[in-house]
Amino acid sequence: MASKSKADLNTLTLAEVIAGLKAGDFKSVDVTAACLDQISSCDPEIKAFVTITAEQALSEAKLADDLIAKHGPAIFEKKPLLGVPYACKDNYNTKDVPTTAASNILVGYMPPYESTVTKKLHDAGAVLLGKTNMDAFAHGSSTETSDFFKTKNPWDLTRVPGGSSGGSAAAVSADMCIFAMGSETAGSIRGPAAWCGISGLKPTYGRVSRYGVIAMASSTDSPGPLTKNIADAAYVLTILAGKDPLDATSSPREVPNYTDFKKVLKGLKIGKPASYFMEDLEPAVKQAVEAAAVTLKDLGAEIIEIDLLSPKYSIAVYTILQRSEVSSNLARFDGIRYGHPRFAFGEEARKRMMLGAYTLSSGYYDAYYSKAQKVRTLIVDDFAKAFKLVDIIIGPTMPCTALKLGESDNSPMFGELMDVLTEPGAIAGIPAISIPVGVSKDNNMPVGMQILGPQFSEKLIIDVANEFQTSTKFHEARPKVK
Amino acid sequence: MISKEQVEKIAKLVKIDLTEAEKTKFAKMFSETLEYVEILKELETENIEETYQVNGLTNVFQTPENKATLPSSEVVKNAANVKKGLFVTEGVFDRE
Repeated sequence: MASKSKADLNTLTLAEVIAGLKAGDFKSVDVTAACLDQISSCDPEIKAFVTITAEQALSEAKLADDLIAKHGPAIFEKKPLLGVPYACKDNYNTKDVPTTAASNILVGYMPPYESTVTKKLHDAGAVLLGKTNMDAFAHGSSTETSDFFKTKNPWDLTRVPGGSSGGSAAAVSADMCIFAMGSETAGSIRGPAAWCGISGLKPTYGRVSRYGVIAMASSTDSPGPLTKNIADAAYVLTILAGKDPLDATSSPREVPNYTDFKKVLKGLKIGKPASYFMEDLEPAVKQAVEAAAVTLKDLGAEIIEIDLLSPKYSIAVYTILQRSEVSSNLARFDGIRYGHPRFAFGEEARKRMMLGAYTLSSGYYDAYYSKAQKVRTLIVDDFAKAFKLVDIIIGPTMPCTALKLGESDNSPMFGELMDVLTEPGAIAGIPAISIPVGVSKDNNMPVGMQILGPQFSEKLIIDVANEFQTSTKFHEARPKVK
Repeated sequence: MISKEQVEKIAKLVKIDLTEAEKTKFAKMFSETLEYVEILKELETENIEETYQVNGLTNVFQTPENKATLPSSEVVKNAANVKKGLFVTEGVFDRE
């Protein structure tokens, strides 16, 4: 990538950065400095970052350059992300780097330990640029409920980036980093990826360790990457996936090499659920996803209309289960061992904790929590049935393009309603990807399509997305920010 | 559907304080949310078992390799009140 000026190194993909570092075209400090410059010039407006670790980043980048100089490209076998600058959602405990989950409860909190994900990224040589903004405790779909400030969508500063990984998505979209870490309970990776025009991957529940990730709903939380294309996400997933003795819910299943890309579309059966293309889909979203389905067909796949349980049931299931688990998970914030006293919780956290405590309480448990878990079984079975007929399922990621700031105010269930199309997959714990499939002519905002597969089929859905992206250019579109 | 008194009870359960205005606001919001989730009644779940977790794992135990520990100085470093290296908590017997 000798053709890229030093100032533009932040616009490279992960694969391009690694190729360039190996070839000696540029140094990690150059890429890192370019990202930090982009952050300085754009972030005052976009506000993706809660904490910027500039000094630490440059010193990590220098160490990376020293290692490359000493050992040559062979070092990348031991440290596959050496020198690549990334941003991390602020719900990952990063030792001695402030971690807040964008909540006033954790202002000033310095984790005494490292999350497994950030430890793996560090050991692989990645360079941490900073911690990104999010809905406080991940309770939201727009990043507006951050206790600190609202992140703007780089495509249109009057609009939200989506949430809860909005800061990470905005940072990738605006080329403030090479890739970012997000997390998804239901929609929090895919949603912002769709609304910011980038690629996002939510692995199978248990594929990536949750150790050190501040918990939202323990039975669906999934750490995952936000990247400029799906090939980059595959690269990151290969490093992050695997059993972790520190996370009892992490899967012992073998980790394939997700970057061994194969052409899979010829003859592939792709399910298109009628219930995901409901009447109130924004026309631009319907159009772009339908067009993408045609492209997949042209590339050799067979599109099959299927029936899936209406996603409206998933909204109800998810609202109950997530809020119940939230009420339990947030009980640990006692203001005694760490954090501020409980009066520091924002309104959204309090709303969710309370609804969750109600649905778990004696007299109501059967009607709500138990009922929701039974419907969850129906949803899991529904997908299993569908995957007997088709290999993967596609649909719009979000029912509309990014909303304007403030549109969600005072809605009792905004987050859960917005995530209608991502909740079913999250509840069933299956892997899912969102990739850009176009930009709306009405408002110039990106549209995302999601690809769902059976549990542990990350390799397949990655190959599908990658084949789509090698034949199309939607993922290359970037907002004008500088 | 949900009364202010019920909201007060729940607030006590989750250990947060609410203003009068918040109690009214939350009562209304909870009623709306609970009304929404009523749609689950449309689905028959008579002989269906709950899915508490989707990965099917059972009996995952600690292994001897899990040696990770933290020195207590690290553990208490974020606490507001520390005495002799220990967390200072509220008295248990004096609570309402």
